[in-house]
Amino acid sequence: MTTITPNALCFGDGFPASGTPCRIQVEGHGLTITCVLDAAESRSESVVFSDLAVSAGGLDHDQLVVKWVGPKGERTLYLKNADVIRTFRQAAPDQLNAPLERAAQRVRQVRHRNRTMWSIIGGIILAVVLGLWFGADLLVELAVDRIPVEWEQKLGESAYRDFLSGQEVMKAGLAVTAVEEMTHRLVEQIPNNPYTFEVTVVKSDVVNAFALPGGYVVVFTGLMGKAESGEEVAGVLGHELSHVLQRHGLNRVVKQLGLVAVVSIVLGGQQGLAGLMKQLGVELLTLKFGRAQETEADLTGLQLLHRAKIDPAGMISFFQRLSEKDEGRKEWLSTHPMSHVRAERLNAELAAMPKNVPEPFTFDWAKVRESLGAQPVIAP
Amino acid sequence: MRSEILYPGAFPMVRIELAAGEHIKAESGAMVASSSTIDIESKMEGGFLGALSRKLLTGEKFFFQTLRASRGSGEVLLAPTVPGEVVVMELDGVNEYMVQKDGFLAGADTVNIESKMQSLGRGLLSGEGFFILKIGGKGTLILNSFGAIHKIELKPDQEYIVDNNHLVAWSMTTSYNIEKAASGWVASFTSGEGFVCRFRGPGVVYIQSRNPGGFGAWVKQFIPVSK
Repeated sequence: MTTITPNALCFGDGFPASGTPCRIQVEGHGLTITCVLDAAESRSESVVFSDLAVSAGGLDHDQLVVKWVGPKGERTLYLKNADVIRTFRQAAPDQLNAPLERAAQRVRQVRHRNRTMWSIIGGIILAVVLGLWFGADLLVELAVDRIPVEWEQKLGESAYRDFLSGQEVMKAGLAVTAVEEMTHRLVEQIPNNPYTFEVTVVKSDVVNAFALPGGYVVVFTGLMGKAESGEEVAGVLGHELSHVLQRHGLNRVVKQLGLVAVVSIVLGGQQGLAGLMKQLGVELLTLKFGRAQETEADLTGLQLLHRAKIDPAGMISFFQRLSEKDEGRKEWLSTHPMSHVRAERLNAELAAMPKNVPEPFTFDWAKVRESLGAQPVIAP
Repeated sequence: MRSEILYPGAFPMVRIELAAGEHIKAESGAMVASSSTIDIESKMEGGFLGALSRKLLTGEKFFFQTLRASRGSGEVLLAPTVPGEVVVMELDGVNEYMVQKDGFLAGADTVNIESKMQSLGRGLLSGEGFFILKIGGKGTLILNSFGAIHKIELKPDQEYIVDNNHLVAWSMTTSYNIEKAASGWVASFTSGEGFVCRFRGPGVVYIQSRNPGGFGAWVKQFIPVSK
């Protein structure tokens, strides 16, 4: 028994639905089809070219379908082997050329259509990726705009309470009264303020202050101890309040949450996001704002100080002083990198503002510092 | 190799006997038990890129298991992850099948598996995704389904309509178009069928009696929502 290597499938009456493997041999007069019926038996059949009808078929329309009606009924061959198809085309008489060409044309059309489709899809994907890459900030802003202030407050509050529970909060005293006065004067100047600001003084040597989304601000006594005047602390407060007003924290959270979240906020479905945002609350405490956000907070903070008639010069000098290399001031440096460019920009902005006469605070800063146990300021 | 389906029905297991030196490939995690003569190797079918494309594109596992009777003949017991029937097919070297991404359970080493890109319409609407498995070669192929497997035999030009979520495998000699289940868009979706595949013979189409997506949606309603 010789083993037959099948190169086509034959369908028809008496054959299984999945087709019978067969071997096609192209000869001068037509085809000889040898079907493998089982391991021991095969059956040959010959058919002349003039009896054949050809077309393209199969899942991808890339197979040559050959049909004829033989003595045992209709037979259909599915040919995929490129060599057999080529030999078939070469040997086929003229009357089969037209249908063969039509079949080949059909295969080319399908291939061309698929290629075109995938090129278009590839192009669209590329455009979307590029669009997202360059338009991500716009998307984030769109998403942030859709988040209600109440949400922001809930998010900030949970992080704020978590943080304060592990800290020594100053409830009363000169420092607290002073910070309250500064906050009041600044907040008064915010038009259409949607936030209820809550500023807490925390006893700690850390030279820093931070703001959480929703209007929660923490000032460390370490920072107050380094300030030479109330105006300097008010400058920091103005800067932090601006972060809240510009929704910088929320902006960063949305960026961290990623595109999926952005899309879900833009398209609706805020419910599922609430839990996720709460988890991120803790991360908010270590939040670092971007350079652009720092600059924006600087400028709007400066304007706020100006409107509140608090001397803005304190803000600039304090920021510069804190940014000078000093071991104890690392905290502020890491979150508020101060460059000369930044200071110069603030000075230029200040120079462009209409002059007004600053109104001093009612508290005595020296006494406030004293109450914090800070060393008295020695005049240079 | 010789295979036998144990406990046919919803929770089948396949016993495969391997002669010394023989090996098969199986879906990662498919092995339940084996003789001590069988070694398990992890193999990236089609090389790294092939495996990566299969993982990324079809969602199939990155690695296939190779179960090799390297220390003498032995047997391997395999089972699919989901409850449902398994079917053993003998590939003849000419017939090729498209298999939905979770359908492959195991096959002889001479069986070739590759991921294949579908056309745009089929990719978007068939419910199988853009990339599915194309399985050819010669030897035993074992497929699994969710629910029972039903074989539809199509004569040349015979048509049959299948809900796209119930497809398991279909031969490359068939062709199909995706269409709305009913004549109107609203009726198509309110009928619960959405899109259907109109298959045209010749060839065979294996379908599963349960819809995995539909089952998932049904189970979802009983899962408590985490607070």
